[in-house]
This record gives sequence, structure tokens and C-alpha cells, in this order.
Amino acid sequence: MDRRELLKMIALATGSAVIGGEFFLSGCTSGAKTEAGFTPTTISLLDEIGETILPATSTPGAKEAQVGQFMKLYVTECYPQVVQDVFMNGISQLQETCKKKHGKLFMDSSVEERAALLNDLEKESKEYNAAQAKKDMPAYEELKKKNRSDQFIASPQHYYTMIKQLTLLGFFTSKQGATLAMRHVSVPGRYDGALPYKKGDKAYS
Amino acid sequence: MADNTFDAIVVGSGISGGWAAKELCEKGLTVLLLERGGPYEHIKDYKTATKEIWELPHRGSTTDEQKKKYPVIHRGWAAQEQVMDAWANEEDCPYTEVKPFTWWRSYRFGGRSILWGRQSYRWSPMDFGANERDGIAIPWPVNYEEIAPWYDHVEKFAGISGSKQGLAHLPDGQFLPAFELNIVEKDVAARIKEKYKGDRHLFIGRVANITIPHNERPGCQYRSRCWEGCPFGGYFSTQSSTYPAAMKTGKLTVRPYSIAHRVLYDKDKKKATGVEVMDTENNQTYTFKSKIVFLCASSLNSAWILMNSATDVWPDGLGSSSGELGHNVMDHHYNIGAEGEIEGYEDKYYFGKRPTGFYIPRFANIGSDKRDFLRGYGYQGSASRSGWNREIAELNIGKDFKDQLCEPGEWRIGATGFGETLPNHENRIYLDKTKKDKWGLPVLAMDAELKENEIKMRKDIVADLIAMFEAAGVKNVRPWETYYSIGQGIHEMGTARMGSDPKTSVLNKWNQVWDAPNVFVTDGAFMTSSACQNPSLTYMAFTARAADYAVKNL
Repeated sequence: MDRRELLKMIALATGSAVIGGEFFLSGCTSGAKTEAGFTPTTISLLDEIGETILPATSTPGAKEAQVGQFMKLYVTECYPQVVQDVFMNGISQLQETCKKKHGKLFMDSSVEERAALLNDLEKESKEYNAAQAKKDMPAYEELKKKNRSDQFIASPQHYYTMIKQLTLLGFFTSKQGATLAMRHVSVPGRYDGALPYKKGDKAYS
Repeated sequence: MADNTFDAIVVGSGISGGWAAKELCEKGLTVLLLERGGPYEHIKDYKTATKEIWELPHRGSTTDEQKKKYPVIHRGWAAQEQVMDAWANEEDCPYTEVKPFTWWRSYRFGGRSILWGRQSYRWSPMDFGANERDGIAIPWPVNYEEIAPWYDHVEKFAGISGSKQGLAHLPDGQFLPAFELNIVEKDVAARIKEKYKGDRHLFIGRVANITIPHNERPGCQYRSRCWEGCPFGGYFSTQSSTYPAAMKTGKLTVRPYSIAHRVLYDKDKKKATGVEVMDTENNQTYTFKSKIVFLCASSLNSAWILMNSATDVWPDGLGSSSGELGHNVMDHHYNIGAEGEIEGYEDKYYFGKRPTGFYIPRFANIGSDKRDFLRGYGYQGSASRSGWNREIAELNIGKDFKDQLCEPGEWRIGATGFGETLPNHENRIYLDKTKKDKWGLPVLAMDAELKENEIKMRKDIVADLIAMFEAAGVKNVRPWETYYSIGQGIHEMGTARMGSDPKTSVLNKWNQVWDAPNVFVTDGAFMTSSACQNPSLTYMAFTARAADYAVKNL
């Protein structure tokens, strides 16, 4: 799949553009502070959030694919600083929201409570992103008139959108996701354009 | 023979330069092949080609640092972790955008022959006759009959897979067995044929990927990771094809890290004596002598070299006496099309990854089809089942969400148009005297844009595709468009066009600079019009023809 396709498809799955997928021109360069923020506790938390989104079943889930560790690298190296900050602040916001809803932190919540929280955040993030996109529209249109929409810098999206996108990307491109949750053939060696398929057969990664 | 003297110098090691080197060497000439970038060895240097996606730290994404360093590459799909080493350093090699212009350059041995899309189509008598028929720019000095044997010649060596269609406006060639349409594409093709009574066609893309072993190359393994470099020699590149053939002659010398920035010109003899080179590693200049020079540095860079040459005779450079050097920049405009879903094939999937999709050749302004613009467009696309990155109705998280994402989704089909751009004198590049590159050399300024004809055409590109998809039973058909500025089709051409009159063209019909007949320009710079087919095959054919002519007339 080419990049354009990939970005578009992730965007579809999460209802928004991929963060860091378009290029940003933020002024700051240092990811050191962000990197320090990814403590083992934070990484475990992100693994558990990931596991709520993509749980282990008969095949590995997000935790086994180490999506928390992947997020640390991706956020630190691929996000511009301003988006990194939204992500890092988002982790505390998620805990706050969880406390408000369930009276406890995410790690102390039950499987059902975790799912309920993420369903709330899904709704909240979609509304937030839609509002941001609307707000950004005039600036985008202005650049588009000059055929300079390549220079458009979108406002950061909701932190949960980032967590979910990175969970999907991190899981399905991991060895566990690509080879166990899906089927993987490194060197197909041939093409069959009419392969019989029945419901339940895994996709080829 | 002194160390710095050769029969021929070829500037640039991409598709055209590789062909020039091979043909000239095989005809017995000693050849110096100059490449401005570093070496890039077949198989050994294809660093990511055998890695799995999970072995790439960013899983295919680029870093924030790369986004800042390579803003032009990040204007579209070219920016992927696997290929970031391929692209020219934008800080070292700037250019000026008087108007938005996207220039995707690869400064490394093999150039863009490693990265290219490999789509390979002949031009037709209609294309070579278009300018004359429409009264646009100047007529082509070459017709299809003259170039057809050279298409045969390059196709046989490069290995082009394809199916014969018997179309006058898209001639068949010397094909290896074609790749296959999948079941959905086959049915869509049949429905389009029926609906348009045989006037519109959808068939498998003709592509420089080999379906059977060819010239000691094992062939395509259906991984569709071509641009990372193919360890199986699955597609035509300088590395897999022309370079080994040239090396076999024992006549080839390659000099990397060498920016040829000036053709040396003897004004008394009215011919070139060699080239001057900037060594990018030690910043020294060197002179190399030869009987003939082939400029294959890519369309814009070959024009740039000419602009820097013989300025004591012509202030605007060698080949500028016509007033056309650097003018008539063309590209194929794209990143616009339609897509939708198609039902009824839920029990079908596919195995393997093809390196090509379908092609719908031009139909606009052919036969009884008349438009309010000149020329036309083709389409490239594919049908496939959507992957893990799709939306699942009613589900956001959890076991069922995951289970569904692990299965293939609905069938989708989509395509982009590739539109012809008319040559226009106003669309030009020139030297920006105010800016220098890392080595103190002048840089190019780009002043080009799509004009009325192309803008009108883009409306029909979308409308026709929607109509064809709907006629073929595709559901929820919707248009799409992503960022495009001229150059981004990576088919930039026309900056040193050929013609029959030295007053209106830079090159004659043999790709010779009128003002220095031992200088041949055989990359996209020579193109007099753009047609709408991917142009590399045509560059190959003209390069081989020019090499043959050059050697016969030494």
C-alpha cells in the first residue's frame, strides 16, 4: 500500500487525518522532554489502553506487540514538538477523565470501565477534531487559492485520536500483528487475482 | 589516451544516461559516465528491500526532522521511511519557486531509475502529430514510423510486460507476458467495454517488471516494493539492466560525486570539447574531454548545464540562440480521480502483490469524442480489498473490532488521471542569479503552472471516471483530489525541445544541440509535446536512436 493510501485509510479508521502524516513546521526541535515523559509506568498505561482497543484473543493483542514502546519512539521522533506536548498532556487528561467517570485511575479500572471510557473518548475526540478542522478551514482555503496547501499546518488533534492511531499502526505493522493476527508472506512469488475467500480468513499483511 | 579523455561522456546515470552508456559502450566507444551523487550498488545497497515492516523503527513513516529537511518530498507520497536516502538533499540543493513547483530528485547512482513507477507506453502517430495538427508550439521533427524500431529495441532489452490491445492510439510493443487483472478489475473492464461500445478500454498496466526470467534477471516476486531496489532484478533500472551490460564491454568508467555543470565549447570549431565537473567531495573542478557529450541529467538539470555553458558566446547559454532553452516546461498533471466500493465479490480475494494496476488509455478527443480542450488523459488505478486501516461500523474498540480488522474489508476501486500538459513558452525555468547551492553553483528558478487547457481537462478527468465507475456498478463513487503543483508528476520535460528549425528549437531531430552538434540531450528535455503516457520508454528509445546516430557520424 502506498503512503497516501495508508494515511487515508488510517484517517478513515480514526475519523481524522494522521497526526504527523502531513508535515509540520514547528519551531521546537527537542524531543528530550517528551522522551523523559515516557516512563515505564506511562508505557504500561499506553500498553493497557492499546490492549483495550485491540485485545489479545486467539491471537496476540496490542500489549504483546509493545505498542507503548512504539508510541514512545513514534511520538518522540515523528511528531513535531507542539503535537508531542498535546500527546503528553493527553495522558494526564485521560487519567483525569477516568477519575471523574469511574473514581479511579485507568490501571485500577475494570475491563468494562476501561472500554466505557475509551468509547466516551472516541466520541469526544471526533467532535473535537471536527471543530478543529472547521476552525482550520479558512487558513487552508486561503493557501489552496495560491496552490500552496502543501504549507498548511493543521491544528493538533485530540490526544485520544493519536493514541488510537498509533495503537492501530503499531499493532498491525508489528511482527505479532502482521504475522499472527493477519497472514504474512514475505515473498509471494506469484499472483492469484481470484482467490476463493470465506468469512473468517485472515487478511494478508 | 590521457586519463581524462574518452570517446564519449554521459552526464547522469538514470534511465536515459544508463541507456546512453550501454549503447555507446556496446558500439565500441570508451565512455565516462558522470553521476552527481554517490554509488548505489545493485542488491548490496538495497538496505530495506529484505527487511520486514516491523524491522523499520518508524514502520514506514518519516521523522519530524526529515519533514523539516525534505519539505518538497513531503508534498506527497514520496516521503516514506524506506526511501528517504534516495532523495536529493534539499538544503544542499535548493531551487526557487517563482510559482509552486515540485521537483522530486534522486542524486545517487541510477537516479530515478530505481524509484520510477515503471509504467511503459509507446507514443502513437496521433501523439507525434498533435502539435502540427493543433497548431500548438512547433511540430515534432520525428514521426512514429521512425521511432517504432527503437521502441522495439529498448522494449526487448528492458523487458516490458503487457497485453496486446490493437489500439492505433496506444501501439502494442514487444511484450513479455502480462500481469493479471484481478476478478473485480476484469468485470469492470468488461462492463466498460460494453457500455462504451468498445471505445473505452481497461487493461493491465504495461510495466517494466518482468514476469519471466529475462537477461539473467530472475524476475518479479510479487512483493510490490520495487522502489526500495529489487534483489530479484524484477524491474528495469540502471543497476539491474543497462549498467551491467555497459560494464561487460570493459569500456565504461563511472565517476560518482561529480556534478557536470558546464559543457566546454570551442567557438571556432563550433562544438563541445568535454565537460567541467565539480567534485562534491573535495569541491575541486576537473575537466574531461570527449568527442561527444550526452546530457542525461534529467530534464531540468540538462537545461541547467546548457544555461551554464558557452556563456561567452550566448549569455543565456548553449542552445539558447532559439530563445527556447528552459521554456515549455511540461509535466503530467494528476493526483485527481475517483473511487468507490463494489459489491458481490465478498467470496473473492487475491494472493501476491502486483507491481502494477490497470490502465485506461486516452479516449478524449479521439474519433467522435470532442471536448472544449485539446488532447486528453489516461487513468491508472486498481481494485483491492481494504485493509486494517478502515472504519468498522458501530465498533471502535475491542475483540470484534480487532477480529474484523484482521480480515480483508470491502472491495474498492480507484484511479487517478494523468493529463497531457501543453507546451507553453511562458512556462519556464531559468538561472536564479541570487542563490547558490552548497558548491557555489547557481540554482534554478521555476516559473510554471497549469494553464486553462489543463484546468478544463481536470474537470473531465473526474467526471468521466465517475461515469465509467458508475456504469460498471461501482457504488458510492466519489471524487478525490490531493495536492499537485507542476513537476509533481515526476514527468518534467520540454526544456530543450527538438524541432526542424534552429530558430524555434534547441535540438534537431537527432537530439543534437543545433549550436553544438556533438552534444546530445536525450532525457525528457527534448520532448516537444507531452502526450499523456508515462514518458520513460520514449526517452529510452530516443536515447538509443541518438547513440546509434552519434556513433555512425563520428
